[in-house]
Amino acid sequence: MSSGLEGEEAVIPPRVTRVVLIVLWIGLLAWSAESWAETVYVQAKTAQLRVGKTSLDAVVGNVKFGDALEVVGRDGSWVEVKTSAGARGWIFANKTSSSKPSGTNDTLAKLGQSMRGSDASATTASAGARGLDKASEGYANRAGVSARDRDAVDRMTAYQIPDQEVEEFLREGGLGEYAK
Amino acid sequence: MRNNHGLAAALVALSMTVAGCAEVQRASEDIARQSGNPRLAGAIHGVGNVVGSLFPIGYEEESSIGQAMALQVVARYGGVVDQPELVRYVNLVGRAVANTSDRPDIPYRVAILEHESINAFAAPAGYIFVTRGLLKQVRNEAELAAVLGHEIAHVSQKHILDVIQRSKRLAGVTEAGLSYATSNPAAFKSVIDGAVKKLLDEGLDQDKETEADTIGEVFATRVGYDAEAYVNLLTRLRDLKGDDRALFKTHPNFSARIEAVQKTIQSKHLVATGVLLPERFARMTKRV
Repeated sequence: MSSGLEGEEAVIPPRVTRVVLIVLWIGLLAWSAESWAETVYVQAKTAQLRVGKTSLDAVVGNVKFGDALEVVGRDGSWVEVKTSAGARGWIFANKTSSSKPSGTNDTLAKLGQSMRGSDASATTASAGARGLDKASEGYANRAGVSARDRDAVDRMTAYQIPDQEVEEFLREGGLGEYAK
Repeated sequence: MRNNHGLAAALVALSMTVAGCAEVQRASEDIARQSGNPRLAGAIHGVGNVVGSLFPIGYEEESSIGQAMALQVVARYGGVVDQPELVRYVNLVGRAVANTSDRPDIPYRVAILEHESINAFAAPAGYIFVTRGLLKQVRNEAELAAVLGHEIAHVSQKHILDVIQRSKRLAGVTEAGLSYATSNPAAFKSVIDGAVKKLLDEGLDQDKETEADTIGEVFATRVGYDAEAYVNLLTRLRDLKGDDRALFKTHPNFSARIEAVQKTIQSKHLVATGVLLPERFARMTKRV
């Protein structure tokens, strides 16, 4: 009889346990949120980290699309960040995003492509460094696209401008981080 | 024995394909083929394709679609302008906008169509076109950036791919057309012709056009171009063509587009920076 009573005293009612657990959980969440630093992601093909918050400041590092950066501070159009490798510098705010960009070929798209087993994008054997891919060449043949128009799309596909020249173009126009 | 092999292969293929394991599906297909059951191998392949067709289109496939559509756009619009400096300039503006767009990690190329109509198009995978006629209406670089921003937004939002995947008629062909683009060119041609018809003849749906207007406006202003530039261009085109004569009957009219862009400017606090660059535009486009 007495041992039964002792047993009852030792048991914590389940409701109390639940409340304690919820309080602990909320506390843990609040602590975690405090300790997490703000992260931004590179929302540009490439971007430079600079010593200071102007485009005239020296470049201390380069980052690329999708890279995660820890925010150290903000000032106007610039964000001071730290890379996972520990490099620290200022990046133009318009080249960052608070949400992680999905990227062009996400896992689902790759999986789907793998299942469909498409090899349509392989370029034709005669194409060399550039050329229409097999599917497009087949299409051009069936649709009767002229050699002139095929060549136009071929040249369009191969058309490239180095990133550095785009950067120079922005600088000349006072665009992006080169705004006057 | 053959049946046992076949049954096992089929079961593995079905379960693993649904689970999303393409490698196992291919292995099962091989087992079925090696066990002398080509029909079963074909069926397993088909299951993979059907399941595969439910997944988004990957960049390589998108690239094939974009390139084939580009061929038809160039053919229908009289070829492209061959003026290297001008082509380089519109590509620089395009790249400036694309590099800080929501999809900067694919190549974008802009071609000028040898056509006097006022128009611009985007095919998947970054194939962008503006007509000579449109360039004649543009007055500064900020307006050109906004036009290209609109087209880049069609690419970043995968509007044409969405049309291809949503269309029931095309969806069946998409599976075969992309898997067997080389072995079944008729099916691939059907996909491309359907998409080109939508792009050039019917026009995309209103919600996609409005989305491209508003997102493109954001892309152009991210680079620092004046937020009011696109409103000015759309207003000029409305005055020129009339409000009821939007580019396609499916397009929202110019007044609705202008209103949507103005709302975006307000809600996203986009800035009239004053960066229009009319001199650079005039210098680079004097031979349009």
